[in-house]
Amino acid sequence: MSSFEKVNSKVVTAQVAPGQEILARRGAMLAYEGRVGFAPVHVGQGAGGYGGSLGGMLGRAMAGENVAMMVAQGEGKVYYGHGGMHLTVIELDGSGVLSVEADRLVAHSANLQSSVVFLGSQGGIRGAVRGAVSGQGLFTTQLAGVGSVAVLSHGGTIALPVRPERPTSVDPQAYVAHYGQIQVDISASVGWRDAVGKGSGEAIQLKVTGSGTVYVQASEQKV
Amino acid sequence: MTQIRLSGPRVLEATLTGDTVRAATGAMIAYDGDVKFKNAGMGGGDGLKAAIKRRATGESMSMMECTGKGTVWFAKDAMEVLLIQLQGDMIRAESDHLLLLDAGLKTDVSFAGLRGMSSGQGLFTSTVTGQGTVALLSLGGPPIALEVSPQFPLVVDPDAFIASRGQLNQSFVTDVSWRNLIGESSGEAFSLRFEGSGVVYIQPEERV
Repeated sequence: MSSFEKVNSKVVTAQVAPGQEILARRGAMLAYEGRVGFAPVHVGQGAGGYGGSLGGMLGRAMAGENVAMMVAQGEGKVYYGHGGMHLTVIELDGSGVLSVEADRLVAHSANLQSSVVFLGSQGGIRGAVRGAVSGQGLFTTQLAGVGSVAVLSHGGTIALPVRPERPTSVDPQAYVAHYGQIQVDISASVGWRDAVGKGSGEAIQLKVTGSGTVYVQASEQKV
Repeated sequence: MTQIRLSGPRVLEATLTGDTVRAATGAMIAYDGDVKFKNAGMGGGDGLKAAIKRRATGESMSMMECTGKGTVWFAKDAMEVLLIQLQGDMIRAESDHLLLLDAGLKTDVSFAGLRGMSSGQGLFTSTVTGQGTVALLSLGGPPIALEVSPQFPLVVDPDAFIASRGQLNQSFVTDVSWRNLIGESSGEAFSLRFEGSGVVYIQPEERV
C-alpha cells in the first residue's frame, strides 16, 4: 500500500499514524489535518531507523548533500509539495535500491533505510566525473526497503524500463532517479564539432545498464 | 518510417528505423538502441541558401540530426508538446518552438510582415512544408487551436503565437495613442491579425 496519494500532479498527501511516520524535506509541508507534530531530523544520527550512520552524516556534510529533513509523527494527514514542481511517487518493493539526488527527495516512508553514497566508490574516477558533469555532486542518496518515495521533477517524469539486452542513455540534466539492479556510467562522445561550438548538445550522456527503471524528467533544468 | 507519439503531455517519443529526423539542439532526454546525434549544420540543415537567409534575417534555428535505430525521447524546459500532421501543406511557426521535424519536412524563412518590431521575433518567420509530423512546443500549459474563417478574423498577442496553418493573411495591428506616451497603456499595443481561413495555435504563457 502506498504511503502517498496524489492530489494533483504537484501535491501529494500522506497518512501518518503511530509506526507509520513520514520523513520529508524541511519546509515541504503545505497543510495538515489531525494531530500531527513535526520534528527536525539529523539524518545520520542512526536513531529509530531514521537511516544512515555516522559515515552517512559525514558524507552529507562533505558533499553539501545537507538537505534538512523533518519527521511527521502523530495521527492525521499531511499535504506535501515544493516549489510548484511536479511530484512522482515511486513504490519500493524491497527488491532493489533507489538512487536519487537529495535535492529531489521531498518525502519518503520513515521505515526506509537511507544512506549517502560516494559516486567515486561505484565507478572509481569515472563515477566522480559523472557526478561533477551531471551537476549531481559526488554523493547521491540511496533508499532501500519497502515503502514509498516522492521525488521532485521539472515537468514530470517518464519511467523507462531498462533491460540487460537494451541499455539506455540518458541526458545528465534530465536524469532524476533509478531503481533496481542498475549501473550508471558516463559516456562522452565529444568530437571536434563540440570544441568549436557546433555540437549536437548531446556530447555527454549517462549510460544506464542492468535491469530496473530509470526516471527521466521533461526538462534539462535542475531542481 | 519514424513513429512519433506523445509519452505524457510534455515528452515526445520517436522510434527511428534507420531514417533521420531533426530535433532542437539538446532536446534529447533519453534514448535506447543505436542512435547518433549530429549538429545539422548552419541554418538547421536546409542547405546553404536557407542558412544564408537565416543568418541575414536573424531567424536562427539550431537543430541536430538524429539517425539510427532505436527510440529517442525528447523534451524541452517542461513545455507541452503539440503534434501536427502535414500532408504537403505548410505551417508558419516560431523557430524557437520547433521540437522535432520528420524526415520528409523542409524549413525555410519567409517575410512575416512588419510585426517583429515589438514582439522581438524578427520580421521573418520559419515555414515548414512537406509530408510528415512536426512537433511544436507550448510554454506554460496546453496549446489552444483557434479557428479563423473569412467572417471571423482573429487577433492574437505576438508573444503567445506558436504557429498558423491554412490560407491566412497576417497583418500587424498597432494601437498606440497618447496614452502610451504618458505610461497609461493597456499593455496590448501590438497585436497580430489573421484573416482568411485556417487555424492559429497559441500558448497560455507570453514569451518575455
